[in-house]
Formats: sequence, C-alpha cells, structure tokens
Amino acid sequence: MNCEVCQLKELEVEHFEIREVLRCILHTIVFHRALGLVRPKDVDLELFEITYVQCGDVELEKKIDEKIDHFISWVEKHPNKKSQICLSFYEVKSKQPSWFTNKTERLYWEQWYVNLNVTQHPKHHSSKSHHTKLVVDPGESATEERSCRRAMVEASLREVLFQIIKFVNEKKDHVPPISEGVIYFPYEITIPSSSDSAFGMDMIKRMLHSGHPTMLS
Amino acid sequence: MASSHSNTHTEAAKLEQIITEFFYKSLLIILESRSPYVSSRNYSGEQIMSSPSSSSSSSSGVRPRDKWFNLALRECPSALENFDLCRQSNFEPVVVDVILEQKQLDWDPVTFSPKSDLVKHSSSKDKNSFFWNSDQEESGCEAKGEKVIERWFVQHESRKGRDCSSGSRRSSSNNLSALYKKLILLLRSLYVTVRLLPAYKIFRDLNSSGQIRAFKLVPRVSSSVESFTQKEEAEMQRFWFTPVDTSCGRLCLSVLYRSSISDISSESSTPMSPQFIPDYVGSPLTDPLRRFPSLPVSQGSPSSLPFSRRHSWSFDRYKASPPSVSFSPSPTHSESHALVSNPSSRRAPPMSLPPHPPGASLPHKKNTNFDEYWPSPNFSASPSPSPSPSPSPSPPIRIPGGHLSKALLRSESAPVNIPVRKLAGSPALSCKQNLPPSPPLKISRADISWTDNNMGPMKSGATIEKLFSFGKGDGQKYSGVNSPRTSFFRSSSRSIQDDFDDSEVPCPFDVEYDDMDPGSRPESYDRRGNPSDPNEAGLFMNRKSQDAAVGALVQMLKKAPPLRQDIPSSINFSEASRPEMWNNNIQEQNQNTEAVTVEHDASSIITSSRLVASMTTADALEELRSYKEMKNLLLSDDGKS
Repeated sequence: MNCEVCQLKELEVEHFEIREVLRCILHTIVFHRALGLVRPKDVDLELFEITYVQCGDVELEKKIDEKIDHFISWVEKHPNKKSQICLSFYEVKSKQPSWFTNKTERLYWEQWYVNLNVTQHPKHHSSKSHHTKLVVDPGESATEERSCRRAMVEASLREVLFQIIKFVNEKKDHVPPISEGVIYFPYEITIPSSSDSAFGMDMIKRMLHSGHPTMLS
Repeated sequence: MASSHSNTHTEAAKLEQIITEFFYKSLLIILESRSPYVSSRNYSGEQIMSSPSSSSSSSSGVRPRDKWFNLALRECPSALENFDLCRQSNFEPVVVDVILEQKQLDWDPVTFSPKSDLVKHSSSKDKNSFFWNSDQEESGCEAKGEKVIERWFVQHESRKGRDCSSGSRRSSSNNLSALYKKLILLLRSLYVTVRLLPAYKIFRDLNSSGQIRAFKLVPRVSSSVESFTQKEEAEMQRFWFTPVDTSCGRLCLSVLYRSSISDISSESSTPMSPQFIPDYVGSPLTDPLRRFPSLPVSQGSPSSLPFSRRHSWSFDRYKASPPSVSFSPSPTHSESHALVSNPSSRRAPPMSLPPHPPGASLPHKKNTNFDEYWPSPNFSASPSPSPSPSPSPSPPIRIPGGHLSKALLRSESAPVNIPVRKLAGSPALSCKQNLPPSPPLKISRADISWTDNNMGPMKSGATIEKLFSFGKGDGQKYSGVNSPRTSFFRSSSRSIQDDFDDSEVPCPFDVEYDDMDPGSRPESYDRRGNPSDPNEAGLFMNRKSQDAAVGALVQMLKKAPPLRQDIPSSINFSEASRPEMWNNNIQEQNQNTEAVTVEHDASSIITSSRLVASMTTADALEELRSYKEMKNLLLSDDGKS
C-alpha cells in the first residue's frame, strides 16, 4: 500500500494564532478521513473568517488539543524556528513479525505535513513604533498593518484548506476500505520532540515502515 | 472490506440507488449551507431563530438517510422536494444557483424576519425549475438586484453507447463499495468546500441574529439554466471536484463561484434593534397564539396608532381612577399567589372580579393556581338581585364578557352575549353589597398591569393551552381576560401604590383590562359610564374606539373556524374540572355553596355559547333558546335573592 504524502503550504503565523490554525487544519484533515457515520460540526474560527468542520468526536478533539499544547510549548522553547507537524494515518496489521517490529505493525498509508513558521514579528514591531518612531498615528498604522497581515494569514490558511480538499479529491485510491463501526482511521500526530534528532529518527522509521513516500506538492 | 451491502439487489439497482442518494446528499449539503435558518449551524437540537418554517426537527437520532455516505445532516424538506424532481429526471444534471438578492429595507415590522422574504420568481421558461425558499412562498415582486454568486452542477455523465447493466456485469461488489467510499470522500470535501467559498460568509452573516441585511441568499434548483455570459463567466472561478467513475459513467460535481462578493456582504447591514419587536408584539408569524386580542384592533383601525391610542386610554383611566391602585406593573404569577395567601379585607377586589370562565383563564396561565380562582366563588356567591344589565355596558359583563365575547365572536350573534352579561353584572352588584368596597381603582390597575401579564403569560400560553386542550383561538381570546385577572390579584395583595408608576401606564394593552375591573366594581362602572355599546360590552373592547372594536370583531370572526375544533375539550374542561377548582376555592374561602352552583351555571352557559359556533345554525338557535331560558331563570333567581 502506498503512502501518500501531502506537504501543506507553509503558513506564517504568530504565536497566538497557532492553536486556531492547527485546529482548523488538523480537524479538516481528519474530517476527510472520518468515513464512518459522522454528524459534522461547524466551527467558526475566532481570528479568521473561516469555518471548518469537525467530525464531532470529543475524544478526537481532546487528542488534537493535547498535541497542539505540546507543540506550542515546543515552539516556546524553540522560537523562530520553522516547524512541522505530521498527521499520519495508518492501518494496523498483525502480520508475521518482521525483523523490525513485533506482531502488530502500523502501515502508514497517508501523511500530512503541516508547515508552520511561527513569528514574533508583530510584537517587536508594535513596540518599536510606539517608542521610537515619530508618533503620527502609531495606533492606526499598527492596526492597519495588523488587519492586513491577518487577512494574508487568512488567505493562506484558506489556501491550505483548499489544498487539503484537492488532495482528498485527487487521491482516493489509497484510502483503505471503510470498516464497520470505525468512525475515523487510526491516526497519529507527530510534533517535533525535544530533540530534533529523535524527530528525524521517527520519520526515518516511518518511512521504512510505509515504503517510499511520494512527495507531492 | 467487502461491501456491507446485501446482494439482494442487482448491482445496477444498487448503483442507481447510490447515485440517487448522492444527488440528494449533495443537494442537501449545498442547500443547507446556503439557506439561512435551515443550516446545521444552528443545530443544537432546536430550530433556529424562531423561524417557523425551519424544518423538522430532531437533529438527534439517526435517520435512515443519515446513514447514506455516513454523513448525518439535518433534513431539509425543500431539498427533498428537489430531490424528487431529480429522481424523476433520471439523473439529469442538477444545477443549483445561489442568488444574492439585494432588497429594500422596508421590512415588514411584524414579520421582520428576512426569511419571510420570498424568492423572486425569475421568469424562467423552464418548467422544471423551481425555487427553493424556506417559506415556500413566492412573491410577485421583482427583485431589485439579483446576482448569481454560485452555480453548482451535480451530474452523472453516462457513457454513451453502454448502459448501466453492461457496466455492472463487470463490476464486482468491491467496485461498488469502492465507489461508495469515493463518494463519501467526495461529499466530505463538498461539505468542507461549501463552507470555504465566499458565499458562506454571506450565509453566516445572514444567519447571525443581530443584523438585518439588505440582501439575502436564495438557492434555486433547476435542471437547466441560462448559461452565463462570457463576461459573467470571466468573473467567476470554477472548482472541479474530481469526478468519480461509476460503472456506467461518472459523477461530476463542480461549482462556479464569484470570488469577490465580500464587498457586497459587508456593505449594508442595518441594525435591527428598532424593528425587533416580535417577542413583545408577538408576530403572528412567529406564534399565532401570541397575538393579543387587542391586536386585531390595530388592524381594524387604519392607523398604526393603536398602541399609542391604547396608551392614552390607559392613561386616562389611570387619571380618572384614583391612584389608589396598587398595581405592580410587572405581574408575576407568583405574586398572585401571594395575594391569595393574604386575602385580607382586600379580598373584595378579587371577588369583584368576575368569575372567569374557567377555560378562559386557565389557558394562559403558566402555572394555573387554584388560588386564583378563589375569587370567582365569591362572585358566584353574589347572586345578588341586581341582574340589571343596566345599560352600563360593560364592567359587570367584563368577566363573563371574556367568555362571552368569545362566544359572540364565534357565533357572531350578540344575543348570546347579552345574557351572559346580565349574569356577570349581577355578580358585580353582589360584590358591591357583600364585599367590602375595594377601591375601584385597583381594578383599573389591573388594566395597567395587563401588558406585563401578556408578555409573560402569553408566551407560555401556548403550552398551557395544549395542556387544557383548548382551541388556539380560545386561548387567544382568553388570554386577554386572563392576564388582567392575574394582575389584579397581584395588585390587591401588594397594595403598593408606588408600584403604579406612570411608566407603567404606557403599556399599550392596559386599556382593555379596564373593562374587567369595571365589572367587578359597580362604582367604577358608573364612573366609566360611557360606554361602550352594550352589545359589545361582552367584549373587552368597550373602551376602544368604534373602529377599533369593529376591527377586533372582524378579526375574531376570521379566526373563528379554528376555534371550533377544540371546543369539545374546552367544554369538558370547563364543566368538569372547573367546578372542582371552584369547590376547592370555596372551601378555602368559606363561601357558600350556592355561589358555586350559580357560578357553575354561568360557566356552562358560557361554554355552551362557545359550542354554538361549531354547530349548525339550527342547532345553535335551539341551544341558544335553551340558554336564554336558563339565563332568565338565573336572572330571576338573582332578582329574588
């Protein structure tokens, strides 16, 4: 089984936007992979005029939030770094034990990479304009800039969401058959761990398991 | 991974069903996200925004259709209708135009809801085209500006020269389940996409309750449409969902959309606050039951002044009547309890209150308290001699009047009322004699508080009505009567003069209640003296201007038919339950039994008059006659006593 990979367009976000943006993206992806009976739940973002869809599973929501928390704390320790979050879907196969793992193995059939560039740009900027510049209208220009920046983030977030939709539309064959009673395919969310090397190892491991990922984008 | 579908059907049949359901589901997804007030956004179980039309119901529970494509959505009746068309058309392409209409801001204050706006009928030559709108209404008025902001295509492209059956021969059930899975994926992405397109922002705006917009969204479903001009098309972008191959063709889904409509949506929005009256006025659309009895008057009278007029009336009353009134403007039912509990000498007023027809008062009370009824026993007790239905119109009648008025309205015949009136009148007199004179003013106060009562009780009125199985119409009519009474009690218990503020006076509806009070108080009656036509005395309208009264009457007549349906139950109620209540009250009050009896008779008369409406004319006349006899009997009894 092929493992399809989708590299999502990098988003430049501020720290306070991380949570909403990630929620939006991750839930949108999972909704497309929740092929069991779902009662969709619309969620309006607070920061952007975007509505995304959750599949209404509390546990899923909790897990995603947890991961986001971890990610945010990681970001705080590693400021100004590009970071990547991987959402992978797999099947559990209990096949013959390979030399690599035990009885059960995860067959990854899809991986989504969410790329974030967390900036602190606005903070510095606003403080600068306040203190140093000739004060023409610091408030106004700052506000304007902010809303402009926000519009750009919103547009690129929207773009990412469409990227997801397109990917879902174009790649359907690799999606495993639906099993009765299962709402969404097993998934895992990987965030950069405290040591980058571990994260890299994890990736390598996963590649070994799932075969050669096809990079698209 | 085998398909979960049974093999009872042939592959082709299954395929056809899958395609059919796909059409339906995709329509549903599109319509639901473009039709304000019907969307899943509001779906926390209850219907959204008080829109009466919003459909069905339960969002909980899984309906059979929900299982299709594992996507549980709200039902959308219109989508269903459209879907039937699709089915008939044998998978002809379905086009959904989402139209943005600019509209004038002249809202109908009563209706106010944007939803009530009708779909513009574009003169489409296509017979198959139909319009979808939540109200299922259409207006002939031309749309000011229509703009197609989205055009969705759902279609099944059949392969030429090969029919489904041949295709199905090759297809295995695996293929079918693969197809099904792909369609699930397609619908998931459709579901997400409709929320990402610019039109959704408009939908969101329309759905947010705080604003009245100068535009609306109208999804229009048809099987064919005029194609866009090149220029139009140039302004639009297209998004293709990847077609899904079936064994005999492929399912295609695409959308043409305008990417720049945000300017429109943000341009004009009007704060709705000024027009937002429905909760208080009770827009008929929102809840017919809530229509106040008095409202009809406004219709009758040409001007939109009714409210102010009423105010002035109430105000006058207020002036006329000594400030002694202790009405608390904000009537709470609980307060009425308090009164009862402390029925001091004050009691007189309650007693003076006419025995409300059991049925009448009950329907509107949220929590009907027997206590409230206690006054009525007194009333009955007062078989005082003065049956004199003196020309003085109304007051006495008032209480009974409420009932009577209903009856009258229905039967339209004045005669019925008159008898009642007399009865009512007698109680009032008796009250005067027997009871300590309560300040007439109090009674009038009741009027004042009326407005408040209306709001509270009336809202709950519907429920109560159901409980008692009253006709809706009855409920409406009764409501007026009811609320006054409640307030009255309150006032008596409290006897706080301060409560009576000028501010309260303004209540539009106060005026009507005055009538009731008058009945109880002879004195007040005299004072009022003016009166209104005796015939109408039964009605609460006596105070009103003549046109108003006529308007009200007309309105009532119009409503009459529905009322009849529930008559039987109401009768039962009044006859059976009521007496019991009365008895209870009586015991508590130590009233004499006779009073009870009298009361009972009176009530039965009233009810019977109600009945009349539902019968044939002959029956009605017959009954009327018997009632008259009864009435006379009663009156004569009263006179003797």
